[in-house]
Amino acid sequence: MTITRRQALSGGAAALATLTAGLPGVARAAGGRVVVGTWGGDYGNLLRQNIDEPIVQPKGIEVLQDVANADPRKTKLLAERQTRRGTFDVACLSDTDMYLIQQQNALQPLEMGKLSRAEQIIPALQKPYAIPHIYSALVLLYNPDKVTTRPTAFADMWDPKYKGRVGFSDILYNTNTLAAALAGGGSVHDYKPAEKMLMDLRKLDAKVYPSNEALAAALKSEEVWLTPMWLARGFMWKQGGIPVRHVVPKEGAYSIVFEAAIPKNARNTENAYTYLDAMLDAKAQTGFARQMGYLPTVKDAKLDPDLAQEISLTEEEESRLVTPDYEYLQKNLNGILDFWNKQFKA
Amino acid sequence: MAALILPAGLLVVLLMVAPMLFLARISLNHFSPTELMVEAMSAENYLRAVQDPYYRAVLLTTLAVALGCTLLCLVLGFPTAYWLARMQSRWKSLATILILFPLLVGNVVRSAGWIALLGNDGAINAALQGLHLISAPLPLLYNAFAVVVGIVAVVLPYMILTLSAVIEGIPRQTEEAAANLGARPLTAFRRVVLPLALPGVAAGSVLVFILCMNAYATPVLLGGPQFKMMAPAVYDQFVRGNNWPFGAALAFILLAATMVLTVVGSALIGRRYRR
Repeated sequence: MTITRRQALSGGAAALATLTAGLPGVARAAGGRVVVGTWGGDYGNLLRQNIDEPIVQPKGIEVLQDVANADPRKTKLLAERQTRRGTFDVACLSDTDMYLIQQQNALQPLEMGKLSRAEQIIPALQKPYAIPHIYSALVLLYNPDKVTTRPTAFADMWDPKYKGRVGFSDILYNTNTLAAALAGGGSVHDYKPAEKMLMDLRKLDAKVYPSNEALAAALKSEEVWLTPMWLARGFMWKQGGIPVRHVVPKEGAYSIVFEAAIPKNARNTENAYTYLDAMLDAKAQTGFARQMGYLPTVKDAKLDPDLAQEISLTEEEESRLVTPDYEYLQKNLNGILDFWNKQFKA
Repeated sequence: MAALILPAGLLVVLLMVAPMLFLARISLNHFSPTELMVEAMSAENYLRAVQDPYYRAVLLTTLAVALGCTLLCLVLGFPTAYWLARMQSRWKSLATILILFPLLVGNVVRSAGWIALLGNDGAINAALQGLHLISAPLPLLYNAFAVVVGIVAVVLPYMILTLSAVIEGIPRQTEEAAANLGARPLTAFRRVVLPLALPGVAAGSVLVFILCMNAYATPVLLGGPQFKMMAPAVYDQFVRGNNWPFGAALAFILLAATMVLTVVGSALIGRRYRR
């Protein structure tokens, strides 16, 4: 076998990249880098295990995670939107947040032709400015030992039998309000009915917990029997031994999609496309499903039957999926938060 | 000599005054849900904060908690401070370290401890239920009680150390002289020690009051979602509501309330001291 000059050079570069991988400030990774703005914790780890290490790094691209909660990263994207060179090449956010950033003109429209996996995206989840990465639906979690007749709807939380046993996570004020709106005949375009419903629930002594974790503890100690929650989180809690089952409420299954997009001022746009493509990889997506209980967003990602039974929606349930009305939310989110804080919780 | 304050002065100007001015400017802007922040020059955010009964209640809660904690610290801290100040033994530095000990643990970690202690299935309720003294758990967590306990545990060392530094400076002979002249210990305390310790009381109270007014982690973690103080309310506006202008206005109202009360309080104690 003859080694050409070109091969020798690229081999040498790869060897150098390996050698210098741990050294800061030294040029490495022949293909440059990609900066991914993401959550830390499970999400960041799973990105590393399923995407960065097996798919993107072998292409010679160095992946840097810029880890923070959504709010600081949103703020960074908004603050940087006028600058020429931004921090992130890939921005990971929930669909509602992504819409807000997109409205502020901070994202590139995606050229789907550059994504080899674009064809596989579930059509309902397609957006011109972001790819869907994982998704889940808002369901009603209940304790099967205490709530003996299986609930069917969010409206069951108003059953006086469950006085003092309905709990909410404070940080999910927005979806909690939506659940109340749906139960009261509202929709994603109209949260108004939630106001009366929430005040009624207040009379039924509904509890509010400061965080999802505090709510989980209350479910575990059986202080709380019913709560609206993301199906994926319910799955994780069940794995953790918390006595809950879920029901896809008949009023509708509100979806949450975690998306990824490329900011206008990204410095490594090509690598960002490579990264987005890797996020749509079928195997990577099943990895997320197994660990976090979120559903794949591509048609060819197949889940094991046991897992699918836990986290998937049946066809009938899928027909009840409702997507957020982003525009309505953006305009009314402040009012929803105000009502939640000042009237419901007061 | 003036050059000596230059490094620290520059740092304060750069890291505090400049961002504060920026924040002051933001507080006059207008909030729009679609455009987030629109340049404006209006007092609407301040007016809204003052007129809204909810925010008035939040400010009153904050003041009540801060004043309550300050008084509690004074009552709890004075005897310990006196004991520490008059201590002659070689254990004195160990005692000082022990008093500082709570500060070695971060606020969040300490709050986690309180949650484990005060929660519905926490240690206290479990023990009381185990002894069949109560049938349902007592509501110890997520209320004003938990917040006051949590904050006092954090700020008490500041009060004790400030007071004890001042008490150390009061010659022991003054107390002996008072006793010699027939004063009972309580009278000696009231007529001699306390008046002389007033500068310490003022300094300690101001320090503790400011810390309490701006408490964030403790009210969030121990007060729960229904209990609101100013600092968490400011955070809510910035991060959850994306409403920077209103958040900035709330921040300045908190700053103004703290400053006014601090100045008035110090002036009152100062006048008493000069008499």
